[in-house]
Amino acid sequence: MDIIDIKGLKKNYALGSTTVHALRGVDLTIAKGDFMSIIGPSGSGKTTLLNVIGCIDNATEGSVKVSGREITKLNDREITSMRLHHIGFIFQTFNLIPVLDTLENVEFPLLLMRKLSKQDIRKRAEKLIEEVGLREYIKHRPAELSGGQRQRVAIARALVTNPDIVLADEPTANLDSVTGEQILNLMKEMNRIENTTFIFSTHDANVLKYARSVVKIRDGLIVKEA
Amino acid sequence: MNFLFTISIRNLFRQRRRSILLGSAIAIGTAVLVLANAFAHGISEVLFNEIVSYVSGHVSVSFTKGGNANNQVFHDGARIREIINKRVPNVKRVDEAIGVFARAIGNAKADNVILVGMDPSGDGVDEKEAEKLAKNFKELEGHFADLADTTVENPVCLAQEKAKTLNVKLHDVVRVRFTDIRGQTQAARLTIVCIMKPSNVFMAAPVYLHIKTVKRLLGYSSNDVPQLYLSIENPRKDAKRFADSLHAGLNPPLAVIDGQLSVHGSGVEVTLLSLRTDSASLALVDSAMKFSARTAADSVNPKKAVIISESLSKITGLQPDDTCTISYEGKFGDEPGGARLIVTAIAAAGSGIDGQVVLVNERDFYKTFYDVWPKSTVAVNGPFRPDTEIGIYKAFGGEWLLAPRSRTTRDVMKLYREIAQKGWKAIVVDVGSMYETASMVLNLEYALNMITAACVMVLFFIILIGVVNTLRMTIRERTREIGTIRAIGMQCVDVRNSFLIETGLLALISALSGTALAFVTMFGLSQLTFKTDANPLGMLLVDGHIFFAPTVLAVCFFIMLIVGIAVVTAYFPARHAAKLSAAEALRHFE
Repeated sequence: MDIIDIKGLKKNYALGSTTVHALRGVDLTIAKGDFMSIIGPSGSGKTTLLNVIGCIDNATEGSVKVSGREITKLNDREITSMRLHHIGFIFQTFNLIPVLDTLENVEFPLLLMRKLSKQDIRKRAEKLIEEVGLREYIKHRPAELSGGQRQRVAIARALVTNPDIVLADEPTANLDSVTGEQILNLMKEMNRIENTTFIFSTHDANVLKYARSVVKIRDGLIVKEA
Repeated sequence: MNFLFTISIRNLFRQRRRSILLGSAIAIGTAVLVLANAFAHGISEVLFNEIVSYVSGHVSVSFTKGGNANNQVFHDGARIREIINKRVPNVKRVDEAIGVFARAIGNAKADNVILVGMDPSGDGVDEKEAEKLAKNFKELEGHFADLADTTVENPVCLAQEKAKTLNVKLHDVVRVRFTDIRGQTQAARLTIVCIMKPSNVFMAAPVYLHIKTVKRLLGYSSNDVPQLYLSIENPRKDAKRFADSLHAGLNPPLAVIDGQLSVHGSGVEVTLLSLRTDSASLALVDSAMKFSARTAADSVNPKKAVIISESLSKITGLQPDDTCTISYEGKFGDEPGGARLIVTAIAAAGSGIDGQVVLVNERDFYKTFYDVWPKSTVAVNGPFRPDTEIGIYKAFGGEWLLAPRSRTTRDVMKLYREIAQKGWKAIVVDVGSMYETASMVLNLEYALNMITAACVMVLFFIILIGVVNTLRMTIRERTREIGTIRAIGMQCVDVRNSFLIETGLLALISALSGTALAFVTMFGLSQLTFKTDANPLGMLLVDGHIFFAPTVLAVCFFIMLIVGIAVVTAYFPARHAAKLSAAEALRHFE
């Protein structure tokens, strides 16, 4: 079953008086539970593709279905709700909320959902923090954590809502190779445990060995799927 | 919502320096606002409770006889008190009040003084009032209560400063010269029974005697009342309403004197009516009345008119230039009233005054009427009662003249100028509330309130500029963070609310701190003692100290106002932040 179905996706940006064609007609389907890597050089459109799939950016043209819903037709409230309930994000620069500690950062998406009780939120957040190996850093703020630890918190935060898809934009780019490997192993482990679809972008060829499937993108077009 | 508060509070402390700077500005602004308001309210409290209530009462009823502002007397005091009881039954106390300018001579020193009558132990002076009196007039030597001592010759109490000016001590005698209510210059010896220190420099100028002593010295009889000051429970709320109600109740009835007209040894029952001699009334007489006979003098000077009806002329044989006498029963005492009149005109039949009636010019009429207040009233039957529909009815005078309600001190002053210039013969009764009699003084409160309003405006701009700038910087610095929380799934409205809560909290904490600062400053300033012997502004001080009167309501209002201004000011930058595209915000780099 395909969790993502993209047809003829185009995305243009206005850059001053010129228009940048970031995506020029992408067709792509991604199966549920996949662990996919999108690879390509800088400026090839990897981040734009992830942003459109993650409902952060809207498409200029084409159709994008995420979890069976056509996201190009949703309004701001619906699309925000879509992000909250179906998609998790892992950023290259971690993007944790600096005024919240580890536990609060992980709890944050669940609080936004306003569905679970305080106790259930706490239980779920603590479970994930334990799974990413940060039990003893639960009360630490992001500034008190290393890069690898921050990314682990980001992974826990991305998974805490039990999303259909986790999108990771170059998750190892700001980490040393050992920590990068640990993060990828963790993501893979989570993919196995939670059966969550992981899509991550990278331009590091060494990372590819972790991916179950690879999409190569260049100049806004998919040039190869494997 | 809780987590929004948590994030907002932590963000507030995260940008500590910026928050402290903006918060300090708001706090100082709030402190100035609370301080200015408490000061204005304090002054207004002093004016209303300490000065106005002593100087003019909350509601006053004043009487001016013969157009002379110093002749403040009404001869049927019980009647006025009855009307007061009927119209404003909730009045706390009714005090008689007299203030007369006098020249005082002490021990080789002289000074101008005001003789003020008071009754420190009168009816309605409860424990609270007595305490207030003791606070406002601190006895240094002797006792205030001795003002009522009948064994002492004209006991008087004066301020320490006045005693120094007159070079007198306790038990010394002060000689005073003043004009009584009959316009005659009188002299008296006053014995000092108390030297006190008033809480307010304003109250140091007069010398205080018992009201009965002043009334006796000025020639008031037992039925006479001077001005009446009404103290009410809630003056700010009720003073104007009470004054209006009392004014309506003091509408004068038609003045009548029912008596015996004697001519050539025979007598006939007649009614004397007052004929007003203002130009409108005289014009009315000219147009509505026909005369069958009149003296040349009457045509030349109608202000001396004594007009009898044709039927009365027939009964008595009176003709113009004839003299007759009137005698009538007085309301008080056994002494009858009377007058000698020279007839100046005979009104033709059909003028509306066919009967046993004499129209007397107001000068002669009121001289008689007030000399011995007649027993007769228009409410009971008499020899003649005019039909209210007749043309000249409006030219007949009432038992007194009720002045229209004044709105400001300026109006009051204008009224008294008019009374003096026109020389109205009827006693002019004027009802005022403290709002009119002290409107000029109250302008000071208005000015202070304007200062408070200016503070609000300044504060508004501080908040406006401060909040907008701070939020702009904050939003710029937190753009990626906004992108992150939007990407995670926070709705626009929650992003906006988090900024509003942050600003609201900053404003609230600052406003509370500012209020605390204001209270500390108030405490500090109220500890300072100012020497105000020669400074009229001293009247605004209590015991030489600045008096602040902050109110819970005003402080709460200011805090809410400041938080409100801050939140409204923050709304647009916060909305701008909330509407940022998540993708663009995440791409943002400082």
